[in-house]
Amino acid sequence: MSGGMWAEKYRPQTLDEMVNQTEIVSRLMNFVKDRNLPHLLFVGPAGVGKTTSILALARDLYGSGYRNYILELNASDERGINVIREKVKNFARTAAISSDVPFKILIMDEADSLTSAAQHALRRTMEIYTRTCRFCLIGNYSENIIEPIQSRCSIFRFGPLSEGDMKNWVTTIANKEGVNLFEEGVEAIYEAAQGDLRKATNLLQAAAATQQGEVDDVTIYTVLGKVSPGKVREMINMGLKGQFLDAREMLRTLLIDEGLAAEDIIRIVYSEVLRLGIPEQWKVKLSDTIGEVDYRLTQGARPEIQLSALIAKLALVGEEMGR
Amino acid sequence: MTAESQPWSNRFRPCCLADVAGNQSAIYQLRSWMRSWEKGPPDQRAAFLFGPPGVGKTCSVVALANDLDYDLLEVNASDYRTKKRLEGLVGRASLQTLTITGRRRMILFDEMEGVSGVEDRGGISSIASIIKESRVPVVLVATSTGEKWEDKFRPLVDLSLLIEFHPVPFGDMIRRLQDCVKELGISVDMDALELLADRSEGDLRSTLNDLEAVARGKKRVTLEDVESLSDRDRKDYTPDALMKLFSAKSLRDARRIVSSTHIGYDDLYDWIYENLPIVLDDSSDLAKGMEALARADIHQSRAKSTQEYRLLKYMFNEMTGGVALSKTRSEGAGVIKQARTKIATLGFPPGAFTVTETAEGVEIKPVRYLGQDWRRVNSVFRGMGAQWMREGGRWLLPYFRPPQLIWRYRRTWHSRRRLRSVAARVAERCHISSKEAVSEVIPLIRVMFQGDKAMAENISSWLELEKKEADWLKRET
Repeated sequence: MSGGMWAEKYRPQTLDEMVNQTEIVSRLMNFVKDRNLPHLLFVGPAGVGKTTSILALARDLYGSGYRNYILELNASDERGINVIREKVKNFARTAAISSDVPFKILIMDEADSLTSAAQHALRRTMEIYTRTCRFCLIGNYSENIIEPIQSRCSIFRFGPLSEGDMKNWVTTIANKEGVNLFEEGVEAIYEAAQGDLRKATNLLQAAAATQQGEVDDVTIYTVLGKVSPGKVREMINMGLKGQFLDAREMLRTLLIDEGLAAEDIIRIVYSEVLRLGIPEQWKVKLSDTIGEVDYRLTQGARPEIQLSALIAKLALVGEEMGR
Repeated sequence: MTAESQPWSNRFRPCCLADVAGNQSAIYQLRSWMRSWEKGPPDQRAAFLFGPPGVGKTCSVVALANDLDYDLLEVNASDYRTKKRLEGLVGRASLQTLTITGRRRMILFDEMEGVSGVEDRGGISSIASIIKESRVPVVLVATSTGEKWEDKFRPLVDLSLLIEFHPVPFGDMIRRLQDCVKELGISVDMDALELLADRSEGDLRSTLNDLEAVARGKKRVTLEDVESLSDRDRKDYTPDALMKLFSAKSLRDARRIVSSTHIGYDDLYDWIYENLPIVLDDSSDLAKGMEALARADIHQSRAKSTQEYRLLKYMFNEMTGGVALSKTRSEGAGVIKQARTKIATLGFPPGAFTVTETAEGVEIKPVRYLGQDWRRVNSVFRGMGAQWMREGGRWLLPYFRPPQLIWRYRRTWHSRRRLRSVAARVAERCHISSKEAVSEVIPLIRVMFQGDKAMAENISSWLELEKKEADWLKRET
């Protein structure tokens, strides 16, 4: 075994190697053939090949020295207007040297998390430095990207991976790594990761590490119990049973010790609540409460307080259901 | 000194009795007694006014002297009040009913509580003899604090008409403040005025001082200005304040603790949040109480983001009144119940521990020597906030525990630093954000590190991790 994380080891290096998103890939290949491309906006769910596509395109375009011609930024780590002003401008204004392609590529991942002020700053930069730099903005939702930027970009919408593609991919990796992956294991991975290939691959690798290369559904569930969703589910169950203090301790572990973002917790809580074995009308009620908390968090409220209030509501629901 | 430059508690001293706020029956007594002097000296030649500070005792005397056109000879704590001095100062005056200019005279001994036994040797008895001989009204004023204050004044009490003053009622206080505010030509928000009046507990003088402290140089005074005042007197120890909060039956009583504790409102908030689930043991109460705190949190973040600090009052109302009034069905046996529940999970036979309520908190005492079990039991109780007391061999669980947040941040500092540096490495190598690295990838990497040594080393070198970071990933959480 070598190569660190399998998700990186098996990431397609060129557009040729990509097995899905075929329509998008063929359009991108045309850009490579033309040695020219417009500003790009890639939108779609996590783990479906957005970052992979642009990295593969860059490699195809510039060859093995492609790293010299791209700058990868992640907007969620480098939010705010100053990053746009400094890093982006410095990179964008100098022309690419010793290449037959006259421009460089700036990749801005999670661009939909940029504040709208930062996006406006970005829009001007995109215009001014078009000659020397192309932008590839990546995000989950195009709705969070301001109109003026959308209108300056070719938009590529990445769909979720099909069940067949996902399962094939996981099975292929398992074979190459000498992992004995049972059919139930594949099902469990798909159930947990849906169309997110990165998540599926990481899950497979973690499972392979625990059982000396034997992976079935039980292995996968054991791993899932140890990661955030498992702990969040435990927290929800404590809440429903009325063990508020224990649930709050778990919440603190997640938020402080493990550094989980409140929005991740709320996202997991939401999907877990929908899967709970509780009457359907309660799911609707809880969804409304979760929506309220989610909104409050966007307004700058304190995560621990708001999530604690949610846990207290769970306790109430648990009690009323018991009656 | 012009009116404007005077301290407001002086400037708004009432000049006639009609302007004095509250204490109408005491004033009526005083006035009738003064009027009785017109028919010659009455049986009791002195009136002894006593009561809490700042309620208008001295003011009433001064106003009355004005109303009835008496010349007021005043002796207060700034004067030495030895026998000799007093006789020199007032001895002769007390025997002459009229001044040189022909006005009637009265004598005021102010700040009697300050008459000292040592420096003012013989002071009390010489005042007593002055009263016995006096041809003019003598008024004694003392601030009564604590019990048995009158023992010191026994010789005087027997010679005097006792008139008790009470704290100025809330409504009278508000009316008087409104008059002052009108005269000053400033505007004070009603809720600010109410808080000023409320926090002083009937002491009009301190209220005027407070008003001056917040309003000098301002055209408008808001609630926020008043909240910022540091409380001049008794600050409650935080657990005591929480005890008051959780037993409050009205918004006003609950709200009082914001200004009466010695910690800031945001620390107070954390204390309430920490202890709320222990006190509110009924789940519907708890849900309401937590929602009140969550609403308080929202009001605070609005106040901060808009810089409109008047919005903070809504936060205060939610975090005090909202919380206190949520308590309808809870037994309030929070801590003791919590202790019993925890003990039940320890797996000892019933009766292995005694649980009793004491003044400091709930006491948990093992009946038998615990031996090797002690460590395990101790860590459980410590988790609840209890402390092992070596003498007495018991755990003490305080009724209220301090916020755990800071402690927790401190305890996890190293671990969080590792998390950040590992997350940065993972983010770069896996083309994701560090946030995603933390939430999605690192938990799985931990599983890999704990399950497969070869894989751990492989990933470790691929991520270029330091040994400490790799060790941290291997550790079970």
